[in-house]
Parts: sequence; C-alpha cells; structure tokens
Amino acid sequence: MNPGLKLFLILIISLEISLVPNLGANLIIIGACLIYLLFKHINLKKLFLLFIIPLFAASVVFITIYYFTPSRSLYQACVLFTRIYAYVFLGAAFTETTSFLALARSLEQNFKLPSKFAYGTLAAFNVIPKIHAEVNRIRLVGDMRHYHLSFYSPALYFKAILSAVSWSNSLADGMISHGYREDKERSVIVPIALTKKDWLIFSSIIVLLQPILFLLK
Amino acid sequence: MKKLHVRDIILIALIAIIFGFIYLASDGLYNALTALLTPIGYGMLANDIMMGIWCMAGPLAGFLVRIPGSAFLGEFLGSCVELIAGEQWGAVNLISGAVQGLGSELGFTFTSYRRYDWFTLFLSATTTTIVTYLYDFIKNGYSYFSTFNMILYFVVRWISMLLFTCVLVKLIVNLLEKAHVIQTNQN
Repeated sequence: MNPGLKLFLILIISLEISLVPNLGANLIIIGACLIYLLFKHINLKKLFLLFIIPLFAASVVFITIYYFTPSRSLYQACVLFTRIYAYVFLGAAFTETTSFLALARSLEQNFKLPSKFAYGTLAAFNVIPKIHAEVNRIRLVGDMRHYHLSFYSPALYFKAILSAVSWSNSLADGMISHGYREDKERSVIVPIALTKKDWLIFSSIIVLLQPILFLLK
Repeated sequence: MKKLHVRDIILIALIAIIFGFIYLASDGLYNALTALLTPIGYGMLANDIMMGIWCMAGPLAGFLVRIPGSAFLGEFLGSCVELIAGEQWGAVNLISGAVQGLGSELGFTFTSYRRYDWFTLFLSATTTTIVTYLYDFIKNGYSYFSTFNMILYFVVRWISMLLFTCVLVKLIVNLLEKAHVIQTNQN
C-alpha cells in the first residue's frame, strides 16, 4: 500500500478509537493488525516485544481506572487497556512495513508536501547518530568537571542548541551547494505509485470500521 | 509574513531530536514515579508530572525561529523522530505530537508573533496544558476520574508546564541571548 495513504489510515483509525470507547472494536483492530503483521512475516521476537512493551503502561491505566475511579468500571478499564495495545499494534503495522524514506517521498510526490519539509527533515534525521554522540559528549565533559548535566540543566540544552545551529547552517549550505532549491520543481528519482487499488483498500477499511465502532457493543 | 526556509526546518528538526535524546534521561524518573504512585491510585499522574519536560521543544523552537508554525513543528517533528527510529508507538504518537504542537503554537498565535518574553511563554504553557489535557480527557480516560482528581491532574500538569516550558525554556533562551545566538539566527 502507498506509504502516505497507509499513514493516514493508521492515524484516522487511532483518532477514532481515541474518541469512541469500544472494547470489541479495539480487539478486532488488534487482531487485524496481528494477522497483517504475521502475513508480512514479522520476526517472532519483535512480535513478543509488541505484547510486552505496552504491558506496564496499559496495566497502570487499568489499575487506576478499575480500582481508583468512582465508577470502578471493568468495561472502561478494559477499553483503555486494549486501546493502548491497539495503538501499539497499529503503529507496528506501519513501522514494520514502511521505510521513512519511502514515506517522505510519498508525502512529497502524492500529497504535495513541500520538498523543503521532506528534505529538511530527512537531512536532520540523517545526523541522528552525531546528535546522540554530541549530547553524550556534552554530558561527559560536564561530568569531568564535576558538573552533572541532566534534563533540568539549561547548560545542557544551551550547548546542544549551539551545535544544532552550526549543523543546520552546514547542512543547508551543503544542500544548496549540491543544487537544492526549495521552491523549484524537482525531478523524481524513485516514483512512488498511488493507485486506485490503494484508494480502494483505504476507503474499504474506513467504511468497514464505522459499523464496528458505532454499532458493535 | 515570513516563511519557513529549509535552514529553519533543519534547525527545528535538530532541536526536536536533541530534546528527544535529553528526554530519554528522564525515562528512569518517569518509570520510578509511575511505579511509586500506582499503588495509591495515582500512577497516571506521573504522566502529568513529566508532561512539561516532553513539551519543551515547541516553545524553544518558537522562540528561536520566530516564524509562525515553528513551535508546532518543534513538537511535531519530535514525534516524527520516534516514527523514524521505528518505535512501535511512532505512528500513533504523531497525533500526540500534533496536539502538543497545536497547544504550543497557540500561545504564540495569541500574541500575534510580536511578543517574545515571559508572558508569551506563560501563555504557551497554559494553552499547551489546556489542549493536551482535553486530549487526555478523552483518550486516556481522565473523564472517569472524580472531580477532585480531574482538577488535581490539571493543576499538576499546569505546574509542570510552567516549570519546564516557561521557566526552564526562559533560562535556556537567556543563555542563547547572551551568546547572541537568537539575534544572529534572525539575520
């Protein structure tokens, strides 16, 4: 399926289940995502993690709603518990089957996202390992001077932002020197198709979801 | 009206990523708080206590790149990082990122992008609190709480926002102003 359209589908479903509390719908969505992921040959270790990772957050919500709210409703607690699992499975159905580069290309080509957003963001994301190293370096330098920098220290953010300003200038200069012009028409190297079949799958799922959400009890 | 250029977008994305890495340092505290508060029925309050930390990139980007949309992007791109990193929550967190971004941006919109001081940060912290609280009210079941708890969760979230997205962001901005980073970036 087209990456951009798949993302919109996931977002619409997530938003709908956020607004409508329905246990049956949550379970059907989790089941459907599970089948989709198995169909796409997801690694079993990853699948196991999908059940384990949300357990802590989901349990906290369940305990709070079931034991510590005036209504003590088991149904509502189960809705919120399964909602968290539905989010994670929906997310995995997207991230396990789509690359970010394909998504950026799809958003630019199929959904008219200005190229400066697609490429500006990609440029920044490509230096993530350097940023990670830089943040660690700043903290290490602080530690060497017996000056611990944590998430509440303005100096840590200040130093990291100084690096960000310098990198953003270098990256933008690099892009411009390689011929990038933000408001000019660009040629397409890897075309991403958005077919009638994609739209058909998208609209069928959305149409199918409505009776499940609003009629299923 | 000034437009965002590719240089600004890269800077905002970098800020979002940097803040993402720094937030990771607070994960241990979040888990410990949740574990401690759950037995007394306030496990979900850890979310509100920490909320201010997770919403700092927006107001900072809004202050640094003084163009409409930058506060929203600062928050929203932060949630994109998780998507790219392949986190399972990634796709769904885009909605939370957009909600937080909208809250952050509103503070700047209400001052017509003319004032850049304590008042704007206070306003942005308050609009972020209101918008994110409304979202959690529906999404995370805050609507099932007793009236006392509804108010308590809101107040705690507001205090967290004021401490981090207002006070801490202003301290960072002061350092950046002293270093002439904010002015140079405007040229």
